[in-house]
Amino acid sequence: MSDRKRFDRVLIANRGEIALRIQRACRQLGLETVAVHSEADAESRHVREADVALCIGPAPAGRSYLDTDALLLAARVTGASAIHPGYGFLSENADFADAVEAAGLTFIGPTGASIRLMGDKITAKRAMRDAGVPCVPGSDGPLPASMDEVQALAAEVGFPVIVKASGGGGGRGMRVVWDAKDLAEAVTLTAKEAQQAFGNPTLYLERFMQKPRHIEIQVLCDTHGTALWLGARDCSLQRRHQKVLEEAPAPGIPPAVIAQIGARCAEACRKIGYRGAGTFEFLYEDGIFAFIEMNTRVQVEHPITEATTGIDIVCAQLKIAQGEALAIRQEEIVTHGHAIECRINAEDPFSFMPSPGTISRWDLPGGPGIRVDTHVVDGYTVQPYYDSLIGKIIGHGASREEAIARLRVALAEMRVEGVSTNLRLHQDVLADPRFQEGGVDIHYLERWLAERTTS
Amino acid sequence: MTGPSKVIPDLDTLPDIEEIGQIATWLAEAGVESVELSSCVGGRLRISVAPVSLPVGQGVIAQPVPQPAAVELVAAKAPFFGRLCLVRPPGEDAFAPVGSTVHKGDIVALLTLETLQVPVTAPVDGEIVEIVGRAGDLVGYGAEILKIRPGGV
Repeated sequence: MSDRKRFDRVLIANRGEIALRIQRACRQLGLETVAVHSEADAESRHVREADVALCIGPAPAGRSYLDTDALLLAARVTGASAIHPGYGFLSENADFADAVEAAGLTFIGPTGASIRLMGDKITAKRAMRDAGVPCVPGSDGPLPASMDEVQALAAEVGFPVIVKASGGGGGRGMRVVWDAKDLAEAVTLTAKEAQQAFGNPTLYLERFMQKPRHIEIQVLCDTHGTALWLGARDCSLQRRHQKVLEEAPAPGIPPAVIAQIGARCAEACRKIGYRGAGTFEFLYEDGIFAFIEMNTRVQVEHPITEATTGIDIVCAQLKIAQGEALAIRQEEIVTHGHAIECRINAEDPFSFMPSPGTISRWDLPGGPGIRVDTHVVDGYTVQPYYDSLIGKIIGHGASREEAIARLRVALAEMRVEGVSTNLRLHQDVLADPRFQEGGVDIHYLERWLAERTTS
Repeated sequence: MTGPSKVIPDLDTLPDIEEIGQIATWLAEAGVESVELSSCVGGRLRISVAPVSLPVGQGVIAQPVPQPAAVELVAAKAPFFGRLCLVRPPGEDAFAPVGSTVHKGDIVALLTLETLQVPVTAPVDGEIVEIVGRAGDLVGYGAEILKIRPGGV
């Protein structure tokens, strides 16, 4: 095997904190970085620190971070031989992954075929079922055209059921049906909406789990047949299907249960020839895991797994893309303590409307067990064009209690002026007795917010 | 009401204060807090409307950026990224040397990316007074290539 690197200059096709995170990993491995950016991000930290910086378009993402042709041209003109897509934007775009490889460049992520397989909820679920990953009872494929058959299927699955658009995502294109008499209308309406929103009326249905938790398994796979699982994360605290706070490991779920599901995920990766970092997302209720989807990229919440396992996931992505074999074995992976991540957004703490503006004060917390991932510096302007994440505060401790205590101190000493943030929301959540008990379901935060508003 | 595309003026010249007031009134009526207009020649106009608790009209605050004086130079900017080429290929015939006059829309430089060539055009009529970009450099989107003193030619 050759020691020659496949690439020594990486184009980072992203912005914000993840672009800086990727840049740090590249520099640590002795790789040069190319920061491509929109006009709005010209002053970003990772742009200033890049070996090569190139403005590729105006602020709207469609003409910059999502412009496939511009990105490929930029890679060629700057001499980058690999592209890291980060999360969001083009990270789960199979055609982009294929185009990168077709251009003779390395895509730091799975193959286009893997992304495509996992990007369609029906094919993903079928592949996972075949690979032995537990799925929620459901139609296991597109709904039949005959409403009688749909009724029979729903009766077998058991009400309540949820009708979903195959091409949907992010909470759009789905409808819960509590009773057989309402099924026909729900199917008709959802198909119509799906056609309008996604250009694809294909639906599937499955059992609606009423108070599940969101549990996910991080995996890392090299191109030499090794697939590892790196423990579980609990991301149940969500608002409108957006994660707000995540923790690792998942409180109250026995490690042996996680180990069993983790091993199945790793096995599934081997079966589909998965490469790079990925996450299997599950709903978990009454001891039952139900596969929802696989994210074929690095995730926002990857630092909590890095904290508990000691594995640098982004460096691992780069090494895997270079063709290196993973240097660790499954039995060497042990999780230490507990880690919690708070996503700090520039948003109104009550209305949750984005709060763009210039940050006039930015005092960050520190101390043992506190990690801050942010691209923001004093004087940074939060742009209205992109998502409102301005940083992530990660607290790690020997126990969950210690992690919570460290985070509460950290959040209390953080000072942000010039924009509104959700810091207070995180402080309130961490102080909430039910959260402190652990194991709240995915609807808990919304219920809690509704009560806060009315009381 | 006619469509906004017809009434929002081109920013080559700053709209007069009545026009800005009219736009602000429409924004307030539509519940829009602010709008920013920008032109390819670098002019920017931001109109912010105060919270709706104020009576519509009185809460209107127009904040025009300083109007570029007529003699102020206008930059031709890169509409894409690429290697800057200031001469007409394949020769040495400069597109727009200092002192030459150009018409709006004239090609004043090229951005080259392998076989792709993207023209940089003059945003106004006028005289070339400065070449800002360096031939052969990789320039980004929006970079200033050269400066033009506007005027009839």
